[in-house]
Amino acid sequence: MSEAVVADIESSRQGELDFERLYRSSRDDVYAYAAGLLRDRTAAEDVTAAAFERAYRKRSRFDAERGSARAWLFGIARNAALDELRRRGRQAELSTDPADAAGLQNGDDQRSELRLLLDGALGMLEARERELIALKFFAGLSNAEIGRVIGTSASNAGTKLHRTMDKLREACDGAL
Amino acid sequence: MERSRDHDRIAAALAEARPAPRQAFVQELDQQAAGGFPRRSPVGSSPLAEFANWVRALSPQRLLVTGATAGLAVIAVTTVIVASNDSASERLALDSRPATENSHHVQPPASTSRATGAEATDIPSRPAGAGGYVGGLGANSKASSSTHGGSEVQSSPLIELPDRNASANLTPATTNLAPLSRRIHREIERSAEIGLLADPADLADDSAKVFAAVRDANGIVLHSSTSSGKNGGARFELLIPSVRLGDALAAFSSIDEVRSRHEATDDITKPTITTSEELQDTQARVDGLLAQLSGAEAESEREAIAAELHAERAHAARLRNQLSRLHQRTAYSRVLVRIQSGASTDSGGAWGVGDAFHDAGHILGIAAGVTLIGLAVITPLALLCLLAWLAQRLWLRSRRERALDA
Repeated sequence: MSEAVVADIESSRQGELDFERLYRSSRDDVYAYAAGLLRDRTAAEDVTAAAFERAYRKRSRFDAERGSARAWLFGIARNAALDELRRRGRQAELSTDPADAAGLQNGDDQRSELRLLLDGALGMLEARERELIALKFFAGLSNAEIGRVIGTSASNAGTKLHRTMDKLREACDGAL
Repeated sequence: MERSRDHDRIAAALAEARPAPRQAFVQELDQQAAGGFPRRSPVGSSPLAEFANWVRALSPQRLLVTGATAGLAVIAVTTVIVASNDSASERLALDSRPATENSHHVQPPASTSRATGAEATDIPSRPAGAGGYVGGLGANSKASSSTHGGSEVQSSPLIELPDRNASANLTPATTNLAPLSRRIHREIERSAEIGLLADPADLADDSAKVFAAVRDANGIVLHSSTSSGKNGGARFELLIPSVRLGDALAAFSSIDEVRSRHEATDDITKPTITTSEELQDTQARVDGLLAQLSGAEAESEREAIAAELHAERAHAARLRNQLSRLHQRTAYSRVLVRIQSGASTDSGGAWGVGDAFHDAGHILGIAAGVTLIGLAVITPLALLCLLAWLAQRLWLRSRRERALDA
């Protein structure tokens, strides 16, 4: 977790929401979460923009006593992403970015193989499981924040995450 | 241990595979952020949608404050409208009365109407020439106004009510009524009560003016009492020709500050017609008995008819007397004038602290009524809206969660 994120959490806990700081610290994380869940970069961009737009409109309704600013923001982003999922009615395939493909070819063979396997395994996961991965490893949320976002306890979120990691581990067994 | 190490390696790989946004998208989003995230969708351009978005953007506290402010504004505006209509109705009611001055504050007593009407039936009626006191009241006026030192003088003059048909200068009250009433020959009894506030020093003069006004209206003073001093006052029970009631009330109102005024009407058409028809029947029976009496041969038969004739004539006389009293009740209106001595409520004599409290209480009452009605209307609607909102939220959440299961 970056220093900016920590500072943002601290400021949100003090009550007043510094939306500019929240945007700067969470922009890429929101996009990564949306892209990880939707596996569609274009849709992820739309969801990210919609999420920040909604959050900006509702910024006065943020209540620091009910959770961190990032949890609040990712709750909004999750709704936007699920609206997008609902609208599409299907899960789009993740389009491989040319830059990512180049990175895969130029990197370490074992790590490249693992990333390819992971990419395939993520595609095989259920959306709920993929969402957990996206929230944890793409957005960088804590288990408590994940629980807050998906509406469960931190321990339950941790348990679900652990099970999902086991699935990924089984899928990537050959590359580990 | 190995599982944990695998998890760490997967986590590291996932962190490396973290999707990064395009630079063009980041710049575009930054521009939107700098511009306050202007809406991209044209759906939000309608005023209703703009209002809904504005409400959604409000925090619960601000929403509560805004709602409370709007509610108070609605209550205030409605109260003003209702109070204005109330005043207008009051003015209309006063204007519909006979021509009198309505510029003073009016506090109509609630129970004077029926009492006055009932008393009117007890007006003593005397034969003509038996010390009547119709019209000229100069002597009585002088007697009443000559009281001093807290003494009280009462005068109950003998009066004679002129016969309705014989009085040349009096017109039945029905001729002064509305066209509709005139068409159907309604018999209307009218009564009025007026309360004046006078300075103790002006009490005698005001009493004299009351007598003068009665004289000008060809009215009758049934009873008058005047007491001087700090808590003194005067009371006049009057009979005013109904046709001149409006002028008389105007004259009374101009004497001093009007504190209260009340007028009432009572339709006595039914008893008048009933009595008149009964009198006609009785008269017909008298005529029939006279015919029988002229044809009777036996002494006993003549005595029986004569006895019956006597009873019928007595009954006819009672009916005539009753009918005459009914006509008098419509020809004359009973008026009660009360003068209370005391300082005016304010320097201007029109509106003071007491009136302010009264008006404030009136307005608060209206506001409370408006609030109560508003709550009665809004509460069920608000509950329905709340339930609908909760249902919509649950439905939307359910659909979003189902999207993850698809």
